[in-house]
Amino acid sequence: MLGLIADAVDGVLAHLDNGLDRLRRRGRGDAPTAALLLFPALTILVVFGMAPLVVSAYMSLYGGKHGMGPFVGLANYVEALQSPVFRRSFLVTVYYAVGTVPTTLLLSFLIAYGLHRIVRGRGLLRTLYFLPYVTSAVAAAMVWRALFNPQTGIVNVLFVRIGLPAQQWLLEPRGVLHLITGGWVPPELGPSLALCCIILFDIWHGSGFMVVVFLAGLAAIPRELEEAARMDGAGGLRIVRHVVIPLLSPTIFFLGVVGAVRAFQAFNSFYALTQGGRTLGTTENLVLHIYSNFYEYGYWGYGAAVAVLLSSAIIALTVIQWRIIGRRVHYS
Amino acid sequence: MIKQNHGIPYHAVVAAVVLTISVALLAAGCGGAPQNAEFRPIDPDNAVFWDRQTTESAALLQQLAGEFNKNRAGLPIKVERSGGYAEIFRKVSASIRARTLPAMAVSYESMTAEYIPTGAVAPLDPFIHDPEIGLIREDLEDFFPVALETNTFSEFGGKMYSFPFAKSVLMLYFNRRVLEAAGITAPPQTWDEFLEQCRRIKAKTGKHAYAVNVDCSTFNAMIFSLGGEVLRGRETLYDSPASIRVFELLETLAKEDLAYQITPGSYDDEVALINDLVAFTLRSSSSRANLALMMNDPARWGLTRIPQGDPSRPVTVLYGPNVVIFNTTPEHQRTAWEFIRFFTSTEISVRWALGTGYMPVRKSALNHPEMQQFWSEWEYNRAAYDCLHFARPEPNIAGWQQVRDLVAQAETEVLARIKPGRQAALDLKRAADAVLARN
Amino acid sequence: MRKLPLYLVLCAGAALSAYPFLWMVGTAFKTLPEATTPGLTLFPQQWQWRNIADTFRAAPFGRYFFNSFFVAGSVSAAVMLTSLMAGYAFARLEFRGRTAIFALVLATMMVPFEVTLIPNFVLIGKLGWYNTYWALIVPWCASAFSIFLMRQAFLGLPGDFFDAAKVDGCGHLRFLFRIAAPLVKPMLATVGLFAFLGSYNAVLWPLVVTTDEAMRVVQVGLTAFSGDAGVRLNLLMCASAIVILPTVALYFAAQRHVVEESLSAGIKG
Repeated sequence: MLGLIADAVDGVLAHLDNGLDRLRRRGRGDAPTAALLLFPALTILVVFGMAPLVVSAYMSLYGGKHGMGPFVGLANYVEALQSPVFRRSFLVTVYYAVGTVPTTLLLSFLIAYGLHRIVRGRGLLRTLYFLPYVTSAVAAAMVWRALFNPQTGIVNVLFVRIGLPAQQWLLEPRGVLHLITGGWVPPELGPSLALCCIILFDIWHGSGFMVVVFLAGLAAIPRELEEAARMDGAGGLRIVRHVVIPLLSPTIFFLGVVGAVRAFQAFNSFYALTQGGRTLGTTENLVLHIYSNFYEYGYWGYGAAVAVLLSSAIIALTVIQWRIIGRRVHYS
Repeated sequence: MIKQNHGIPYHAVVAAVVLTISVALLAAGCGGAPQNAEFRPIDPDNAVFWDRQTTESAALLQQLAGEFNKNRAGLPIKVERSGGYAEIFRKVSASIRARTLPAMAVSYESMTAEYIPTGAVAPLDPFIHDPEIGLIREDLEDFFPVALETNTFSEFGGKMYSFPFAKSVLMLYFNRRVLEAAGITAPPQTWDEFLEQCRRIKAKTGKHAYAVNVDCSTFNAMIFSLGGEVLRGRETLYDSPASIRVFELLETLAKEDLAYQITPGSYDDEVALINDLVAFTLRSSSSRANLALMMNDPARWGLTRIPQGDPSRPVTVLYGPNVVIFNTTPEHQRTAWEFIRFFTSTEISVRWALGTGYMPVRKSALNHPEMQQFWSEWEYNRAAYDCLHFARPEPNIAGWQQVRDLVAQAETEVLARIKPGRQAALDLKRAADAVLARN
Repeated sequence: MRKLPLYLVLCAGAALSAYPFLWMVGTAFKTLPEATTPGLTLFPQQWQWRNIADTFRAAPFGRYFFNSFFVAGSVSAAVMLTSLMAGYAFARLEFRGRTAIFALVLATMMVPFEVTLIPNFVLIGKLGWYNTYWALIVPWCASAFSIFLMRQAFLGLPGDFFDAAKVDGCGHLRFLFRIAAPLVKPMLATVGLFAFLGSYNAVLWPLVVTTDEAMRVVQVGLTAFSGDAGVRLNLLMCASAIVILPTVALYFAAQRHVVEESLSAGIKG
C-alpha cells in the first residue's frame, strides 16, 4: 500500500520535473521550479503575515473607534509620538529587551559551556534546563504567580525567613532601584519590580532554547582546536575568550537577533503574569499598549498606528544589528 | 547561517514590503468606513449565543437552552462558551468588522455602548411591545425597575438595547472566626464602623482585615453607599466629597497596613477568607456559591450588605452582564428574543438564581416557594436578595470601559501608597473626563 | 573529581530551573487547604490522587487533547513540507528576486502576532472558517523561522551532491524529495518539533477563532479552567501539569536525535 503511494508520488514528481525541465530548456531557468516550491509558503505568509500589516497601515489613517471614524491622515501617528503613555510603553519595551536578551545569552552560554565540559548526566541536566521552554506560558505563569504571591508565595516566605522585608513582586509598581537603595532613587526611575519579575520569568522560560542552540554550536567546534590551545598553555578563561567565543560568534549573533525580535514582541508572559493588570503602566509594553487600545478600548486607528510603528522599529533594529554587528561575526 | 545569508540587501526588504503593501491594499478592502450591509448570522441554522458562564452555571444554561429548543419549532438556540468578558468584547468587535455575528451575546453596559454606534445591536423595544411575542404590562411591572433601567441607553435615544441576564449585587463577605478572635460579634453597618473593626482585627490578631480586589464597580458602590454619584451627563464626579472619602478610606487602610491588594483578576481574596487570613472582602453576590463550596462549615462565614454612610438609606451596586441581540436575520433575532423571554420568566428565573447565585430579575421570583425554602436553609441566604430593592446601576455610556481601567489604576496608586487619596481623586477626575470627551 | 564544583553549580542551576515544575506537581496532589497555606513544603503530606479524576471531570480535557494533537500535528506536518520546499528553493535555485523574496519572508517574523489578529480574524470570517479546524491550522502552515532553518540545512550540504544529481539528469523535485530530504532529516524533525510546540502552546488565536466547545484546544481549556476553578489552586496545578505533560514527553523522545545535531548543522552553515 505504502509502496503504491510512494510510486504514485514519484510518478507525479517525475512528470512535474519533466515539465519544468522543458521550461528550463526554453530559457526560463529555475524560476518555474522556484515558483512551484515557494508557492504554498509564500501564499500563507503573505496572506496571514504581511497583508495584516498592510491592513493595519491602512486602518491607522482613520480616526474614531472600531474603524468607523473619518480619514485623519497621520494624526494617529502624531498622537502616539506625543503621548506620554506611548513613551512609557516604549521605555518598558526597551527595559525588557535590555533586561532579557543579554542576560539570557550570557546565562545560557555559561550553562551550555558547563554542560559541554561534562559527560556523565549531561542528557538529564540538559533536559532539566530545557524543560521551561516546552511549557506553555499560561501554565508556567500560573505557577510563578503563586510562587510570587505577596501573601502566600514561597518567595516571600523565604525572604522573611532570611530576614529580608517581604515584597509586593508582581504587584509592585515602584522602581527596583528605588527599593534596593532604600528610597534614594525616585520610585518612577528605571524598571519596576513587577517588570523585573516578568524579565526574570522570561530569562527562566527562554534560556532553555538558547542552551540547546549553544550546545549545538559548541559541539561543532573541533576538539583539536581547544586541545591545541590548551597545549600552548592557555588557561580556561583564555580558551573561552580566544577560541570558543570567536568560533561561536555566528551562534551568538543569531540568538541575539532572534532574541531581540522576540523581546520586542513579548506579550504572553506579560499578559499571563499580570492577568492584564498594568501595574500602573510599568508592565505595559508596546504590544500591550496596542492590545488595550485596539481590543479593549476600540481605538482601531490609534492601535494600528502604534502597531505599524512597532513593526517598523523591529525591522529597523534587525537591519541595524545585521549591518553593524553582523559584519564583525567570525566565519569558520 | 552565515555564509550566504550575510549579503541580504536590506533595501530589498523595503522594496518587497512596499510591493506587498500595494498588492494587499487592493485585496484588503477592510479598512475605513462601515458598509451599510446587513450582518450575516455566524451560523444560519442555529441562533448562536456567546456566553461566558462556566462549570455548573454553564451546564444549567445548556440545559435550559435544550428545554427551550424542545418545545419549539424554528431555529434552535446554541450556547457557546466564549471565554471571559474581555474575549467576548474582542470577538464581537472583530465580528462586527467581519459583518458576521452570533444571534446574541452576553454584554456589560459599557460593552454594549461600544457596539451600538456600529449599528450591530438590535433595539429591543419592538420585541417588548410586540402583541404576539412581547411582554404584557404585568410582566414589565414585575421586573425590578433598576434591572430595566440599566439597559436603557439615554445616549442612544433612550432605547433598550440589552436585557438583564445574570445580575448580581455587591456584598460584604466576612469570616466569623477572625471577627470573633477580635471580639467582634456583628459585621459593620457603616464605613466608620468598618474602619474601626479593621483596626481592632489588626491589633488583636495581627492579620490584615481586608483583601482588596481592585475594581471599578466596587469602588462606585462605595461612593453610592456614601450618598455620592459618579457621573453627571458626560462628566465624572470622582472629585466629589464622597469619592474623596472613599479614596481616603483606602489611603488609611493602606497606611495602617489594614488591607492589601490582591493580584488583579485572581480570587486570592476569597482564598484568604477561606483560610482565616482576612476578615473581609467585597465581592459580587455570585461568589457565594464559590465560597460555600470551599467553606464546608456555614458557621465560619457570612455575607451581608456593604457598609453604608447612612444605614437607614442603604445603596449598593447592581452589576453583572446583560444580553444583546444582534442585527442579523429577523428569524435569528426573533429566536433570540423568545429565548430571553423564556429565560426571564418567573419559573426559570428562580431555577437560574438558585442554580447559579445570580439574582432573579423579577419580583415574583422572590415569593416562589423554592426561593422561600432556600432562604430558610441558612441565615445569610437571603442577604443578597434583600439588597435588590436598593441596588443601583452603573453608567452605561460610550468610553466607560476605559474609565473603569482608570479607576482601578487610581485605586492601585492609593493602595500602593504612591499618591495620597485626595490627589488620586483629582487626577482621576481629570483623566476620566478627558477620555469621555474623546468618545 | 576535578569537575565536582562544576557539577555542583550545574545541578544547583538545574534544580532552580526545575523547581517550578516540582512545585506544580507537588501542589497538584495536595488537598485544597494544604495547597493554599503558605509554607515551604514541596510535596503533599498525603497525596490526593483523586485530583486527577476531579480535574478531568471538571472539564472535557479528553476532547481538548484530541483537538490539540490534531491541530498541532497537522501544523507540524505542513510546516515541515512548506519549509522543506521553500528552504530548498532559497538555498539551491537561481532565480530573479531571490534575495528580495527571502527578505520578505524574514520580514514576516518582525510583525507581532497581536497586530495581525483582527485582520486575520476578519479574513477567517470572510472565508467561513470560523469554528473550524481550517482556522486553527491553515494560517500557521508556513513559518519564516522554519524556512530560514531549512535553508541553512540545505546550504550546509556539500555542493557535490547537487552536481552529481544534475549529471544523473534527476530533476529538482525528485532530487529534493528523494535524495536531499533524507539528508536534512534532523533539521526537518527539529522544525517539526518547534512547529508542534508553537501550535500546541498557542492561546490567543484559538481563543479568538473558536467558541464551540467541540473545537476547543487544551491551552484555551486551561485558560477557561483557571476562571472556573478560581480558588481551587490544586486542581489548577493538576490541569497545568496534565497540559504540559505531552510536550515534555515529546521533547524527551525527540531530543537526542533531533535538536542538537541539526541545529549545529544549521546554524554553523
